[in-house]
Amino acid sequence: MSGPVRPYVITGGRSRSTRAELALESLVSALPEPPELPDHALLNREHRRILGLCHSLLSVAEVAAHLGLPLGVVKVLVGDLWDLGAVQVLPPVPQAERLPATLLEEVLVGLRQLR
Amino acid sequence: MASANSAEAAPEAAGSIEAAGSADGPQYLPPSVQGAVKILVTGPFGVGKTTLVGSLSEITPLRTEETMTTASSGVDDLTGRTGKTTTTVALDFGRITLNPRLALYLFGTPGQQRFWPLWDDLSRGALGAIAMVDLRRPDESFDVLGRLEEQRIPFAVAVNTFPDTPSYPEEELRSALDLLPDVPILFCDARDRRQSYDLLIDFVDHLHRNSILELQG
Repeated sequence: MSGPVRPYVITGGRSRSTRAELALESLVSALPEPPELPDHALLNREHRRILGLCHSLLSVAEVAAHLGLPLGVVKVLVGDLWDLGAVQVLPPVPQAERLPATLLEEVLVGLRQLR
Repeated sequence: MASANSAEAAPEAAGSIEAAGSADGPQYLPPSVQGAVKILVTGPFGVGKTTLVGSLSEITPLRTEETMTTASSGVDDLTGRTGKTTTTVALDFGRITLNPRLALYLFGTPGQQRFWPLWDDLSRGALGAIAMVDLRRPDESFDVLGRLEEQRIPFAVAVNTFPDTPSYPEEELRSALDLLPDVPILFCDARDRRQSYDLLIDFVDHLHRNSILELQG
């Protein structure tokens, strides 16, 4: 784990992300040219580790596993970075936007090809 | 039906789990991927969830942890603060890149009642769940089957065929597990990649057919 610090110390005591829509399978990547971060945006060490890891696309769950941080903590931190515009987050495929049948067919075709 | 022996060796431990911060770096998704879906693989401890995830995953399965805080009923907190108990739950998961645009994550999700506080979050948006059953101790799956029905998560039962798994006619199984007729019962040796793929394909095919039936109303 991340050393002798209780997990939610890293998040300033927050256990909920500002972004309720973040899921385990949400895909995260750091923006190649992040915006100038405002002065009050004090990124902690774990925020910076996430930015360093996510130079390419990974899920929230993969970020948590590779950094050895609890999922809930990673959701809070990724939410912070998202709020700051430092990462882009691809939401889990929104079910409402696609017919479930179409999505399931795409999954099925993919699996049959890989079998 | 079978004797439950809690001291039984857990095949789950056999799966190769990559510890956090291992020498292998992360395997990134292709930049063309636009989104991901997930399927839960659930069942009691030792039923083979991690083995199944490992047989299907294109990456070495990863382990992550979630902390679960529950109010404790004890009165031993001398500071007078509300008593809370924190439990850590390990989740093993894997990934399949289905095509250049879409990825599928498979989350091994513990199926015991004490983990229900995590379930809403884990199951939100899931296409469905594969509920693994060990027929040598089927009673350990009752909790999770009930939960899937209550939460209306589409699911199939996957019997993990260990070498000494007893065989029963499907009707007997369906009745013993108290399953509705539309819940598929599938069989698979979770150590075998081909069988595991067939299981996953059969399950998604079932979901797909149901979604078409719903469309036709």
